[in-house]
Amino acid sequence: MLEKNVYDALKRVVGARYISQDPAVMDTYAFQWCNEIESAQRGEEPQRFGVRPLAVLLPASTEEVQAIVRLCNKHNVGFKALTTGMGPWAGLSIPKSIQIDMRRMNRILEVDERNMYAVIEPYVTNAQLQSELLKYGIMHHAQGAGPQTSPLASHTSFVGPGFTSPYTGFSGRNVLGVEWILPTGDILRLGSFDHNGKWFTGDGPGFSLRGIMRGWLGAYGGLGVFTKAAIRLFSWPAPKDWKWETSGTIPNYEWKVPPYWRLYVLNFEEWSEYEAAMYELNDREVCMVATTSAPEGLAALFTNTKTEAIEAIFAGLLARTRNYIVVLVAAHTEREFEFRKKLVKLILEKYRGNDLIEEGVIAPRPMHYGETVRNMLGQHAFRFSNCFQSTHGGMDTIAMAVRLAQLNQPVKQKYIEKGVIGDDRGLGVWITSYESGHMAHMETPTVYDPTSTKSCLGYAAYQDECNQMDLDQALGMPFFIVGDEVHKFYAERTMNYPDWLRRIKTTFDPNGVSDPSHYVKGEKRQK
Amino acid sequence: MTLGDYEDMMDSCVRCSLCKFIPQLAIRSKRFSSICPSIDFYDFHAYSGGGRMIAANAYHKGRVELTPEMLDVLYRCTNCGGCEVSCKWVYDLEPNEAIHALRAAAVEAGAGPMPKHKKYIKLVERKKNPYGEEPQNRPAWLTKDIKLDESSDTLYFVGCTAAYRREEIAVATAKILNAAGEGFRIMGSDEQCCGSPVYRVGDEKRAIRIMEENIESFKRAGIKRIITSCSGCYNMFKIEYPRYVEHDIDVVHTSQLIEFLLKDGRLKLTKDVPMKVTYHDPCHLGRMAEPYEKWEGEKIEVLTLVYIYDPPKPERRGANGVYDAPRNVLKQIPGVELVEMDRIREYSYCCGAGGGCKSAYPDFAMATANERVEEAESTGADALVSACPFCGTNFRDSLKSRNSSMQYFDLTELVLRSIGGEQ
Repeated sequence: MLEKNVYDALKRVVGARYISQDPAVMDTYAFQWCNEIESAQRGEEPQRFGVRPLAVLLPASTEEVQAIVRLCNKHNVGFKALTTGMGPWAGLSIPKSIQIDMRRMNRILEVDERNMYAVIEPYVTNAQLQSELLKYGIMHHAQGAGPQTSPLASHTSFVGPGFTSPYTGFSGRNVLGVEWILPTGDILRLGSFDHNGKWFTGDGPGFSLRGIMRGWLGAYGGLGVFTKAAIRLFSWPAPKDWKWETSGTIPNYEWKVPPYWRLYVLNFEEWSEYEAAMYELNDREVCMVATTSAPEGLAALFTNTKTEAIEAIFAGLLARTRNYIVVLVAAHTEREFEFRKKLVKLILEKYRGNDLIEEGVIAPRPMHYGETVRNMLGQHAFRFSNCFQSTHGGMDTIAMAVRLAQLNQPVKQKYIEKGVIGDDRGLGVWITSYESGHMAHMETPTVYDPTSTKSCLGYAAYQDECNQMDLDQALGMPFFIVGDEVHKFYAERTMNYPDWLRRIKTTFDPNGVSDPSHYVKGEKRQK
Repeated sequence: MTLGDYEDMMDSCVRCSLCKFIPQLAIRSKRFSSICPSIDFYDFHAYSGGGRMIAANAYHKGRVELTPEMLDVLYRCTNCGGCEVSCKWVYDLEPNEAIHALRAAAVEAGAGPMPKHKKYIKLVERKKNPYGEEPQNRPAWLTKDIKLDESSDTLYFVGCTAAYRREEIAVATAKILNAAGEGFRIMGSDEQCCGSPVYRVGDEKRAIRIMEENIESFKRAGIKRIITSCSGCYNMFKIEYPRYVEHDIDVVHTSQLIEFLLKDGRLKLTKDVPMKVTYHDPCHLGRMAEPYEKWEGEKIEVLTLVYIYDPPKPERRGANGVYDAPRNVLKQIPGVELVEMDRIREYSYCCGAGGGCKSAYPDFAMATANERVEEAESTGADALVSACPFCGTNFRDSLKSRNSSMQYFDLTELVLRSIGGEQ
């Protein structure tokens, strides 16, 4: 329990209605997907209930967040902010901590159509923001975590790959400015301001602190609280009079596909052909989406239920699917559309591929176009068993992503044969290219059973082996390094970068109250 | 089903927050993107479908007790089922079922339901209705020109709200049936509450007793078909009763019957009703109105850790509710122009009255109705139309409190106008 004086002080900040310390209310914050993996790794019974906060608060303004953070410093109470909060990185590690639920800060503060940025608060979701931006003919980068998650959280605190990454990059690349409550309670505003107070670039004038704020990986909420973010926007490739229209009834919705859009599933017999085609598709800036999964994954991407996905698998999809790229060509004009389609055709021919859609192996419906650009496809992977998790992956060149996928297959197969993870023949990967360049991202989504100790431990061991492989095979930096131990693991062969993170953490959080959870601990965490 | 039956399911929630929003593909605006009235009003994650499932899980595992605040968490929910529609888009989970199981467990433990609920449950037991009205006044809505057919095996089950609070719906329904030559009888002062307000707050024992009594009296009266104008009654007879009490009585909602009578040519909509309207899908007529089909079978592991049900288990995703019948009727009324809200059909936003909230948490119920009325107003419609007296009561309260120029009508009222039955 929080001391009464501390609780009362916090209550005065947000009001009695917006603070709770009821155990059941607290437990809904302690319960997180993947806690079962971490608890199994600690030798405990795998379970999703993690550290229970001592209170949860719902602030409504920057000033309230600042006041909360200052009180935490004063009374040596840990804190962590979260938005929709999916995963243990949203939860706590310090037993004497509170959670700051940002739900009441959910406004889109500004959309600057001309200068292509939006200023948002933490609890605006991807789908909400997208639905409003489309009215201006613009879009943002939405992270693959899903349309119901927070773009501010991703832009400030995660890498944030997504399905439109060939076109929109990744979250960390697109943050232009932030309002940041430092762990001490001071407010720092980053990003440039022009004479109108506009936020249009993440750096300058003067020193850029963006590297400290989030760096490569983001701090997973372990370095203060972000209350506003300006994020970069992109042109939405559809005519001005096109509107987002969904009709029909679940699960088979209709969606109005913009006129110059087309999906392909470009399939290549060999990884080498796949790799060359992926490079060329990106080099020529052909597509809005270029993404890869396992053949089993393809069954899940373009179906609407688990049953449909399984039926597709048993109908022979696996036999006809090798190394494929789901490509979405999305053009503003007919001329641009024809040009891009020609390029796809030429690349397909050049690398001896075939289009699985044209051949009827898989048949995306109009709603799947909508799901693709709303970043919903990743969620389809949950349909198989209600649960999966991904390895820490890698973010490097397209060639490295392919190498990772190839090396991963026998490792994964070993654990499949043990019966501890789902059977995708070791082919289950997620690859997406970035910014129509040479970069790509690879991770291995893996089905496991969260209610089985054996499966949780099996998955954890598989993940550890993948991490070791990263080092042994020099596979570049993972895109997702969660927690001190994993940072330490990579430290020696990466110029001891976590030392620098720890110094940042210590300098910005001298009292160690910003719960590091899946970031790094400071050099001297308070008692 | 008890909480224990749902343990694996509760353990499988990934706390993704999909349950707070309408299906993501359907989101067209930020303003009308939420599905859950409870999280909208109370904000803590515990007030979402997933949050309640976690709280239920914590209670089942002995981590928490039924504190007063937890009981508020549990009962500040309209039981609208919106969370479940959005959840099932991806997951094989049933948060609304877990919420009901926790309510039943709370009652079993002597902690639930809430005092206001207990009060109306007593009234249901004593007076056969939750309003405490005298049973002999139940048929007071009947006008002299309404013809009843005591020999009919069709029962118009008026329901407590239409009988005592929204008599105009009962009158309109009876006159429409008369106009179509559809014979029917009523139970009069012998009619008793369908049990919905008792069942929804988790008092299963009393609710099952009411179900048994009602089915027994229907059987005694030789009833083969029940017509309801209340979505809550419809849902109880059609969906919930068969889970506990066997019956083979056909249950139809007035919207379905009117659609049939129009198609059959027995009802003619001739008078102009010049009005732009928008239609609200009642939860219990819509997403919650899919039957529970009894399933027996086994789970088969078809791929490692991937299971299917053999034979396939019927899915309840909200797809097969009564959505088209009321719309088809509205579209046939001369002069009526139907415009849709953002949140419709299986992802309709709740009116706020259900689950015992209108009585126990009137501020929450009103805020929820206000939210829905704002959405209705945003369409530019003159009137909000629905097909449930309980939704109607909450909407009327909201419109009045907001001094809104928008009107509220039950579907039957507009049909009655169009057949010239108001004179």
